[in-house]
Amino acid sequence: MKQTENPGRERILARIRAALREPAPMHTASGAPRSVFAPVTDALARFEKECAGNHTELVVTPDMNAAGIAVASVLASLPAGEIFVQDAPALRRMAPAWPQDSKLHWSHVPLTGSEGPAETSQATITLGETLVAQTGSVFVSAACGGRGASVVAPVHIVVAGIEQLVPDLDAAFARLNERGAPARNSFLCLITGSSRTSDIEKIMVLGAHGPRRLVVVLSHLWE
Amino acid sequence: MSSAAKEFLRNAAKKSADLTHRQTLRRNIDHYDAAIERARPRFLDWQAGRQRCHEIKWEAINHLDRYLVEFEERVRARGGHVFWAETAEDARRYITDLAVRNGVRTVVKSKSMVAEEIHLTPALEEKGIQVFDTDLGEFIVQLRNEPPYHIVTPAMHLTRAQIAALFKEKLGGDGGDDPQKLVAVARRALREAFFSAEMGITGVNFLVADSGMVAITTNEGNDRLGTALPRIHVAITGIEKMVPRLADLALFWPMLANSGTGQSVTCYNSLIGGPRAPGELDGPEEFHVVLLDNGRSELLADAEQRDVLHCIRCGACLNVCPVFRTIGGHTYGATYSGPIGSVLMPHLLDGEKFDHLPFASSLCGACTDACPVKIDLHHHLLHERRNIVRAGEHPWSERTAFKLWRWVMMGAGRFAFLGWMGRATLRLAYGLGLEGSPLDPLHLWTKVHRAPRIPKKSFRALWKEQHEAD
Repeated sequence: MKQTENPGRERILARIRAALREPAPMHTASGAPRSVFAPVTDALARFEKECAGNHTELVVTPDMNAAGIAVASVLASLPAGEIFVQDAPALRRMAPAWPQDSKLHWSHVPLTGSEGPAETSQATITLGETLVAQTGSVFVSAACGGRGASVVAPVHIVVAGIEQLVPDLDAAFARLNERGAPARNSFLCLITGSSRTSDIEKIMVLGAHGPRRLVVVLSHLWE
Repeated sequence: MSSAAKEFLRNAAKKSADLTHRQTLRRNIDHYDAAIERARPRFLDWQAGRQRCHEIKWEAINHLDRYLVEFEERVRARGGHVFWAETAEDARRYITDLAVRNGVRTVVKSKSMVAEEIHLTPALEEKGIQVFDTDLGEFIVQLRNEPPYHIVTPAMHLTRAQIAALFKEKLGGDGGDDPQKLVAVARRALREAFFSAEMGITGVNFLVADSGMVAITTNEGNDRLGTALPRIHVAITGIEKMVPRLADLALFWPMLANSGTGQSVTCYNSLIGGPRAPGELDGPEEFHVVLLDNGRSELLADAEQRDVLHCIRCGACLNVCPVFRTIGGHTYGATYSGPIGSVLMPHLLDGEKFDHLPFASSLCGACTDACPVKIDLHHHLLHERRNIVRAGEHPWSERTAFKLWRWVMMGAGRFAFLGWMGRATLRLAYGLGLEGSPLDPLHLWTKVHRAPRIPKKSFRALWKEQHEAD
């Protein structure tokens, strides 16, 4: 595609370079560098506590069979309608445990146009990139069912293995960088709880534009 | 005094006397204060976090040319476009041309103060394009034809009853004021726009140089829908939103959320580096980043005030400011209000009309204490006053008064004599029952306050007595 014409680019850069010739003062720190956050010692306990605090429904299961059943019980509680599922081997394997009448829409890369959950989807089921104990968050990427999969439906279910859980945000970025996730994906998102707003008198309401329920199904064993 | 300054004073007087407005504002800010108090202990050492943020932003801003070029290269490598806008007009023209060229009829916009700064919505509407503000607070003020009241909480000045009435009139709501139901009404109204819009416009919270991504933060997820569904995504930002490394967000995301709303992190922190990549399921075909200068490079040239560009727009300085808490957001008549607005606005292009804002401060320093990136806001307010006085005209009476004041303050005898005279005069006046009347020498103060108790002795006399007694 034709690149954007930028008549102002050189002028802006020239002004910035001229401006920076004079150094700016920096506040100096007193003493040795200190830690900003207390270290997370028990990642699972912290993750459970943070999820409870931010309205994420967390189900911890021993193995993938149990995880499949946990997902099934969430699906059974939903009204009839499309369930959008990331086409991943782990999710394909657990699908037989889900309610027979579920209208599953497995993701696939289309030849043209884009592919995502229908506007009326009841839920989406995806994997995550990594889980963060410090804040009770899930990192997803475009590879986790696309951009719309974690936001369009009223319920988002994330299936993850315990080895994906890291203590804090520093560790989460280290893991993402190690695996080249930022380079491989045009989109990443740190999701912490379900969509909410406090724009009316600072009163919190869940389910603003995105999901009202975020469910994390965590499995100790990942086959 | 400029006409903008006169209008500011008029509106400020009106708003400070509007007790309903102050009560609404107070209730909102009380909620905020309580949330901050609960949230601050999430940090082992908040001060260390502020220092680290200052150092990271210092690095980014003082090497801004290098990081902008790095960012641009990476966005282009993924097939995105980067446009450098020198002025608001440049940015408006680029975005409206892009929309017209692509036959865009509907735009969904998530929160962007830069879009307010360049008056983007009216420019798009002029081309017959419908613009939906999708952040709930911005959606509400858009329905009222008002600008956002606060950079983080755009509808802070409205009660739920007012919002219920507005929704009933404009959206066919049932008039009930349950926030849950009001949110559902807005969600339904905007859902259709999300699925039919051809263009999504977002602001940017951080530009990340090492990965060429924009970071966008929302609680509602409106940015997520606006960057997943429409065919074109335009992210608009000031050039100063830079951080060098992706990993820096491990600190900035919690700092922003903690200062902005008292959350541990905001619900959705998205990172977007380009259009939908081959092999990805969805996402826009085109991704454009508009980098806006509009006076920022001039501010950069002022080494003393350069760190004003470190701001991450959390809104903390507004919430703690006694002036903001009294006069509210709209009175400033500026895109950015509160202490950060008062130091920033005069530097933006066409900023002279905001030269009165640095004077609208008690210099109490609450803003400086609250700032998560340690901007020395109250000293910058003072620096700005100095610069404005140096550059511009100020009345003869003011110059004379300050000369006289300086002369008095420079001599101990003169100071003591005038102090004695002041006390004696006031005691006499109040003895005659003139307190609060137009003849009261402190009339300007006492027409709205009780008069201070007039001491018999000066501070120096008391000091001398006590130290001699010891």
